[in-house]
Formats: sequence, structure tokens, C-alpha cells
Amino acid sequence: MVELQGITVIYNKGMSNEQKALSEVFLFVHDGEFVTIIGPNGAGKSTLLKVILGEVNPLRGKYLIDGRMMNGKPPHYLARFIGRVYQDPNTGIFPSLSIKENLLIASRKGIRSVGFSRLKKRGLDLLKGLGLGLEKRLDVLAGELSGGQKQSLAMIMAVFSGPSLLLLDEHTAALDPRSAKNVMDLTKRINAEQGITVIMITHNMEFAGMYGTRLVEFHEGSLIKSDNRKTHSTKDSKGLRISLSSN
Amino acid sequence: MLAIVEQGLILCLLAIGVYIAFRVVHLPDLTVDGSFALGAAIAVRSIVSGATPVLAISLAAAGGAAAGFITSIIHRKLKVNVLLAGILVMTMVYSVNLRIMGGPNLPVPRVFGQQEVVSYERMSGGTMLDDLFADQGLIEEETPPPIRERTVVAFFTNRLDGSDLAKISIVVISAVIILGAFLKTDLGTSLRAFGCNPSGVTAFGMSQTFLAIIGLLTANLMVGLSGGLFALYSGFADVSLGQGMVVTGLASVILGEIIFGKVKFLYGLLAPVAGGVLYQALLSTAMRYGYRIGFLASDMKLLTALFVISVIGVRQLASSPRKQRFKAEVKKLWLNSRGSQ
Repeated sequence: MVELQGITVIYNKGMSNEQKALSEVFLFVHDGEFVTIIGPNGAGKSTLLKVILGEVNPLRGKYLIDGRMMNGKPPHYLARFIGRVYQDPNTGIFPSLSIKENLLIASRKGIRSVGFSRLKKRGLDLLKGLGLGLEKRLDVLAGELSGGQKQSLAMIMAVFSGPSLLLLDEHTAALDPRSAKNVMDLTKRINAEQGITVIMITHNMEFAGMYGTRLVEFHEGSLIKSDNRKTHSTKDSKGLRISLSSN
Repeated sequence: MLAIVEQGLILCLLAIGVYIAFRVVHLPDLTVDGSFALGAAIAVRSIVSGATPVLAISLAAAGGAAAGFITSIIHRKLKVNVLLAGILVMTMVYSVNLRIMGGPNLPVPRVFGQQEVVSYERMSGGTMLDDLFADQGLIEEETPPPIRERTVVAFFTNRLDGSDLAKISIVVISAVIILGAFLKTDLGTSLRAFGCNPSGVTAFGMSQTFLAIIGLLTANLMVGLSGGLFALYSGFADVSLGQGMVVTGLASVILGEIIFGKVKFLYGLLAPVAGGVLYQALLSTAMRYGYRIGFLASDMKLLTALFVISVIGVRQLASSPRKQRFKAEVKKLWLNSRGSQ
């Protein structure tokens, strides 16, 4: 469904600080997959997400969603197909708006006249599914919620309009362990129940092992491993270690 | 007192414009200084050209909106910082205003009552000296051109009988209600969302450029409307009328927030309304009694700017981590003392 064919990104091309961020990346993500991307800082993971979101135009290569060429499309156009959640809980929500207004914005994907009453049931169902009691606090400002609640709301908002793809950029990094686990469970549920394809960047190897159905590894701008096998994690005395096993 | 309220209400439209730019869409727009004078120039020129006051004020608002539109295009399309874009448009508008008025200022034609019909040709088309010379045969008496009657209806009477206040109130209340309703719509909600998380709106399929245009256009529409009303009320338009108006608007917004900071009715629009009137009252008081302590009328811009700086400074100090820690310690001590009782 999402196809990246030979994507190359070079920042500051022709200048003294020229930097190759992605080099000939080929990646095919099928419908309903849960792809986890790992790699050290500067490996090109976030640049890959920026290409998918239309925030960075690749120097070479093709980018397609459902067979349609997406090179050069503006971010707000691509947003119709893609939901996203970032590390900072405040970036995925609108803190000065109420929860209800946040859902209203999330529901329409662009400026269209949609009354909240039409979407109320779906919005309430999604909020109830969180188990945080947000469905009873629709008029509370989103900025007044805790970090975990904000990120959960951001997840709901990202999938409210039924996107084809959900991009997650270290979306649990700023949360406490319990909130992070809850948000990851929610991510898994969204993937399983709504069939939304998920691409998740993480530094958390436990989550990468537990939740992803495919593990993709980047290093210095190149995709060095794409394993279609199911992953699971084990813990030894030295810390966490990921092991991969065939389906 | 009535005049203070009238002027305050006119300036609260300016404050609403500044509020939309600075507080709703969070774009510090300096076009305001230009669009206020532009509104004034267009309104008076329209009246002089024979337009009705309602049309003149509408054109003034449209002129302000156009200035805001140009600023937003320069800011978003040419990637120029919004402050610089505002300064550029403000500078351009200065020259435009001189062209519109045909000089540095332009008076509103004098009329003697709301319904009176005035002919400009009659008012300015000859003197007694001309008649005398004609009688002596020194100049040939020409057949006067047919008189075109133009109806000029004064919008403001300046009689302080409440009629002006009623008109201004209707305009202000209508503007506040319309704006409040607008901010509740999908587009208005998107504008508020853009103000608190600009990059976030892109994630939900909205164009930041489009929202910035709508935001600055709406803000300067209000400022142009205020400028137009102000010129008709004062009886003139001047090229320097807008000087320092952005600071005046900000001072009004801040004053309003001090009083109505917690009131979110109509998305906080009450704050600039109350602030505009209160600012005008304080200004009048300062001008009336300030001379006793050595202040001149020309010091008012300085005082206004100092007021804005002091409020921002106090807010900054109050939100500093050190101050927060101090407040937390005081609260803790107070709670402990209550617990021990």
C-alpha cells in the first residue's frame, strides 16, 4: 500500500554542510501491517516519516500510496490519508480547545462542515475505549489533561477520520511506563480492530519486540534490515534483548 | 463621559482586531498601524465622493481586510517574518493613504444634521467677490454649470445626545456577535486551533497559509472598520492617524484580560471590548489631570507603551520558575499552618 522506491534525501545539497539523510531506500508496507522502525539517532528514521508526510521532498525516488504517486504533494493533502502522533503530547492536540472541539477538528480532515452531533457517537465510543473517562469531560480544555491522556486523545484524533496509515514517531517516549504501556495497547488495538496500517518509530526495544509485526532497521540513512518475521522480546540480566523468530 | 465611551467603543473594534491577530491566530501583526489609517482615509474619501456612510464604513473595513490579506500573502508565500511583512505593508499603506486623501489629511464634509442635503458646488463654487466683479462687468458672467446635488448624510452628529452612542453600540455589538458566531463555526474553530498549534492543523488536512490569510484578513477588517468609524466620528482622516495604534490595541487587550481574563464567553471577545473602553477612560483621565504632575498629551504613546511593557514584565516574572517555587513554598507553609491548627 505504501511504496517507497529508491528514496534518496540529501539536506543542504551543494553546501558545505551537505548531509545524506536517506540513501536509496526501498520499503513496501502492506495494508494492515504494523511496521516498527528502529535505529540509532541520525539513522534517517524521522526523515523517512517526513518524506511520507510530504514535509521533505526526496531528491530521487518514487513515493506511492495505493498506487498513486505522492511525490511533491503538500502535507495538508497527504494528511487526508495519514494520521500521525509525535513524541510531545502537545503537538497532536490543540491545547486551547475543548476535547469536543479537538474531535471536531480531527473528524473532518480539512475544512468541511460537519456538526459534532453527527460524529458524537463514534467520538464517544472511541473515548470510552480509552477507559480514561474523557467521554464525560468533553468541554474540558485538552491542555488541562495529563501527558498520557493527551497522547491517548492524540491517538484517537489521528484515527478519528479513518486514515489509511498511522505514523507514530516515538509517541510513548515522553510518557511514564504505565501510560506508555496503555498507549501502546491502544496502538495495537487500533491496528487490529480498525485495520489501519501502522508505521512506528521507537527507541524502546521492548515495545519494538512486543508490538510490531515487522521490524525494519535503519543505519546511516540506509535500510539495513526488514524482517517479516514476528518478533518477541526476552529479558536477561544485562537488560533487554530482542530475538526474532519465524512465523 | 459619553464621548469617552463613544471613542472607547470605536477603539474596541481596533482592540478586537489586535486580539484576533495576537491572541487567536498568534500572529503579531503590525499592519494594524497602516490599516487603521487606511480605513480612515477610505471612509472620508468615500464620503467626499458621495458615498453613503454605511458604504463608506464598509469600504473602510474592506480596505483594512485587503491590507491584512497582502501581509498574510507576503508572510506565507514569500516566507517573510510576519513582523517584517506587517512593517512592509504598513509602509506601503502610508503612500497609498496619501494618494487616497490627495494630501496628508482630509476633512469629512461639514453637514448640519443627519438629514440635511448639501451641495458641494454651492458651498465652494464662488464667492461674493466674484459676484461683485461680475456686476462691474470686470469678468464675464458665465452660465453656471448645472448643479449636481449630492446627498451627504452625517453618520455622527457629535451632539452627545446618545444617538452616536446608539449607532456605535449597534456596530460594536453586531461585530462582536458576528465574530463570536464565526469563531464557533468550523472555520473559526480551525482558526483557534491554528493559533494554539500551527503545525497541528496541517496534520488534520488544513492549510496553514489559508488559515493565516483568514486570520489576518479578519483582524485587519476589524481595524479598518474602527479606522473608518474613528475618522467619521473625529471629522477627519490623517496619514499619521494609525501611528502607535497596535500598541493602543495591545494595551486595551491586556487591560481587558486583567478584568475578564477568566471569562471565556464569546471566545474572550469581551476582554478587548471592555479593555478598549477602559483604556480610553484612563487615557482621558491621564490627559485631563496628568498635566498636574508634568505629563503632556504627547506623552500618552510613551505611557501606553510603558504600560504594555510593565504588564508583560510582571506576567513574565510571575511565571518564572523561581517565582513559581516561591509561590509553592508559601502555599505549602499556609496549608501546613492550617493543618496544625
